[in-house]
Amino acid sequence: MRGLQKKKRELIARFLNGDEPCFPARYAEILDDYFRESFSRTSVGPRIRSEKNPYAIIALGGYGRKEQCLHSDVDVLLIFKKKIPNEANALVQEMLYPLWDIGFDVSYVIRTLKECLKLASQDFEVLTSLIDARFLCGISSLYSELMEDLRGKVLRRHGRAYVDWLVERNQERYNRFGDSTYLLEPNLKEGLGGLRDYHTILWIARAEYGLVKSRDLEFFGHLSHDEFQTLSRAVSFIWMVRNWLHHLTGRKCDQLYFEYQVNVARALKFGKGEGQQAVEGFLGRLHGEMEFLKQQHLMFLNKVLSRRHRPGIGRSPRRVVARGLEIVQDALNFESTEAILRDPRLLIKILEKSAVLGVPLSIECKRLLREFLYLIDGDFRSSGPVVKSFQRILVAPPNTFSVLNEMLNTGMMVALIPEFEGIVNRIQYNEYHLYPVDKHCLLTVEILKRFSAEDIEGQDILCRDLFSEISKPELLLWAALVHDIGKGSHGQDHATRGGEIVKSVFKRMGFAEQDIETISFLVREHLLLIKTATRGDINDEQIVLRCARKFPDIDHLKSLYLLTVADSMATGPKAWSDWIAAILKELFFKVCHILKMGELATSTAIDIVERKREEVLYSVPSTSRKWIEALFDQMSPRYLLYTPSKDMPRHIELYKVLGKRPFVLEVQTNTDTDYRTMTICARDCPGLFSKISGVLTMNNLDILSAQIYTWRNHIALDIFKVKAPLDTLYEDETWTRVENDLESALKGELELESALHQKLVTYQSLRKRILRRPDKIVVDNEASHFFTIVQIYTHDFPGLLYRITDALFRCKLDIWVAKIATKVDQVVDVFYVQDFDGQKVDSPDRVAAIKEAIKKVLTNGVPW
Amino acid sequence: MKKIEAIIKPFKLDDVKEGLMEIGVQGMTVSEVKGFGRQKGHTEIYRGAEYRVDFVPKLKLEVVVRAELAPKVVEVIEQKARTGTIGDGKIFVSTLDEVIRIRTGERGKEAI
Repeated sequence: MRGLQKKKRELIARFLNGDEPCFPARYAEILDDYFRESFSRTSVGPRIRSEKNPYAIIALGGYGRKEQCLHSDVDVLLIFKKKIPNEANALVQEMLYPLWDIGFDVSYVIRTLKECLKLASQDFEVLTSLIDARFLCGISSLYSELMEDLRGKVLRRHGRAYVDWLVERNQERYNRFGDSTYLLEPNLKEGLGGLRDYHTILWIARAEYGLVKSRDLEFFGHLSHDEFQTLSRAVSFIWMVRNWLHHLTGRKCDQLYFEYQVNVARALKFGKGEGQQAVEGFLGRLHGEMEFLKQQHLMFLNKVLSRRHRPGIGRSPRRVVARGLEIVQDALNFESTEAILRDPRLLIKILEKSAVLGVPLSIECKRLLREFLYLIDGDFRSSGPVVKSFQRILVAPPNTFSVLNEMLNTGMMVALIPEFEGIVNRIQYNEYHLYPVDKHCLLTVEILKRFSAEDIEGQDILCRDLFSEISKPELLLWAALVHDIGKGSHGQDHATRGGEIVKSVFKRMGFAEQDIETISFLVREHLLLIKTATRGDINDEQIVLRCARKFPDIDHLKSLYLLTVADSMATGPKAWSDWIAAILKELFFKVCHILKMGELATSTAIDIVERKREEVLYSVPSTSRKWIEALFDQMSPRYLLYTPSKDMPRHIELYKVLGKRPFVLEVQTNTDTDYRTMTICARDCPGLFSKISGVLTMNNLDILSAQIYTWRNHIALDIFKVKAPLDTLYEDETWTRVENDLESALKGELELESALHQKLVTYQSLRKRILRRPDKIVVDNEASHFFTIVQIYTHDFPGLLYRITDALFRCKLDIWVAKIATKVDQVVDVFYVQDFDGQKVDSPDRVAAIKEAIKKVLTNGVPW
Repeated sequence: MKKIEAIIKPFKLDDVKEGLMEIGVQGMTVSEVKGFGRQKGHTEIYRGAEYRVDFVPKLKLEVVVRAELAPKVVEVIEQKARTGTIGDGKIFVSTLDEVIRIRTGERGKEAI
């Protein structure tokens, strides 16, 4: 016993040191030694008369295969030729209890040979464990007899049912544990691509072909030499990981949980790679090995099943689908290897046929694709027909199998787009990204294609509609395929990098300049919408506008929205939820609206604003540039668009002077003209506009036009054009009075309504005598996502603007932007308003109330 | 002990979180929620299909602290989550009977 413990300790030490590549076999061997030794020294053993009733101790399951991992169970069978003697239990106790005592998980069964065979044919679980049986000690001929009977009796009779059962159990396993090659926390044993895949190959090989050792797979031609080598390498790597995991968790744990991944990577001495962490390199390798195992397993199953269901390959009908390509047994294949050499384009042709016809590739075909990758060179990649074939694969309707996935697995993808290599099996170590980058890109394409499919339950109707509207869906799919290609190289911002990389990719593939630009745009900006939606205030017009201005047109927006949705969905559940979907959709509608309206986000508008910004910055000393740059962000978009750049420095100067004061006023008294420009910079407050116009009316200043802007920092910049006062001699006094009155009005010391009363009644009597066209009042909630727009067409009369703005104030509305224009005596007033909560006013009763209030002041001149 | 729940605009999370860490708040729970208050939902129409936005996406923050710290926490959230426009959210403060740390069984202030 001490010997076993010592050997175990030494073996584990060697393993942890990295000096024991075949740990599972060695571990099994030291157990073997223990069993043999303890058997030879047992006190009960000799009492059982083995010459009359031969018996043996046999290793089962993983231990039988000599795949003993650190905390795996040790399964043994005590088998008797005839009857189970009374001493059997005592023998077990004597041999196995010490193992339990030192922490081995030993399970045992005691059976007669007959029982074994009977159970094996009834219960395939038992058969599976017996198939791996290995003789430990006792009478060896009994073991031989067991194995012969298993082959000769059980498997001969039940072999087919057994294989079916294995296949079925495989499916259950997949449903339960998932595809380990995709999972963040793969199950090393039971998941698809896990060790069970390897075992299943062996079991089927034994049941179907009578193979004994794993190497027989190669010797009997089921695997090529290279494939067997790669398979062995993959399996030992997974074992290594599994043993480390057992060691780190201190128990039989086969699920590679997040928390252990970093430590396993460190233990296996993975170093920091190019722009990726050690753990990402480790997971990449693990996914790669498991993917290979999964592929081999699926190919093997496929082969066994197809051969069985259709005996005689040679006789089954062949169908030629193109020169050099044929369908045999519902799978595509090359006519011959010579055909490929004669026409290498068949390599892509066969994939195209597979995608278009919906016929899977045969196993042989996948093997040949891998073998002949070397034929793909620069000329091949850039040849027109090849690119066309590739595109047909890309846009082909979604199918049960993915040709793009086959391209990835066979290496065709990297051969055709070498830039793809950096993201193959690239893991991003966080709980956010569920898939390696390459698989994620493919999944994004699949999701997009599903948007276009008709009548899928739970389908996103908006996405379906948008997909059907975009002018070149193939460009969107190309962009989706390569959108994360920038993750394959160094640096912080993979989107920008990707945008550059894809330019050269698609240039090489011969795409038109404009199409390259579109793909590059989508790749470069693929995070724009999601970032704006989750990290910006999408109720802030400026932020939405900044986002909208990146789009050359609505088509680009639609494509980018679809890419964003698919990209998020393909990332994992943490990246996509109803909640995120809601914000993203909201942003989409807002941006879409701005682009449709065109006012603020057209390329002309962008150019104008950009030019003004430069002109203003250029005109000021370099020391204040930084401050002004920041101030530009506070100015409202319409201010920037409609204010001449020559006026801006003066406004900025006013803003500087404003300081802590409630307002500052500046008048350009150019006495040569018959009008004056008054500019007011003020802290915004409800009713500000009506107070200013009231004060002007009170001082007999006739308003010709006005522009009102509210900046984002709640500073109002109001520009009024008024008729020059009749008495220009005392004009300065007039303006001083205006300033004083406004100050009193803002303080609440001047009650404008009563002060103006007499005046308004007089004006009103004048007004009634004028023959007028009917007024028009429009309350528009369609044109802007952020404001209700009130338009008023009427006849001018003194005090009109005060009346209207006062009415708006009484309706509890804030005026954010206003454009007042007078032509002769016809007035067009446009107000961008929100309620005091900062929302649009769209309920029908409030809209009606606004119209009513304005109508009243227009007809009566006064609200009473 | 006090529990402070706050409904905030999603993009304000980082600011609020930073502010709370600065005054020594050790932990918090954040959930994605949807709802409406004064900020109403609305309907978008695209190609004849209606997309109702009934509930506005918000984040809900839950912080449990010693009673003395509660006013400071409220102040920080109020300050950091404010944009001055509608939908800035609300803060709820309530008194807590008991807190238990499951792992150790600690209770009360020790468990915060």
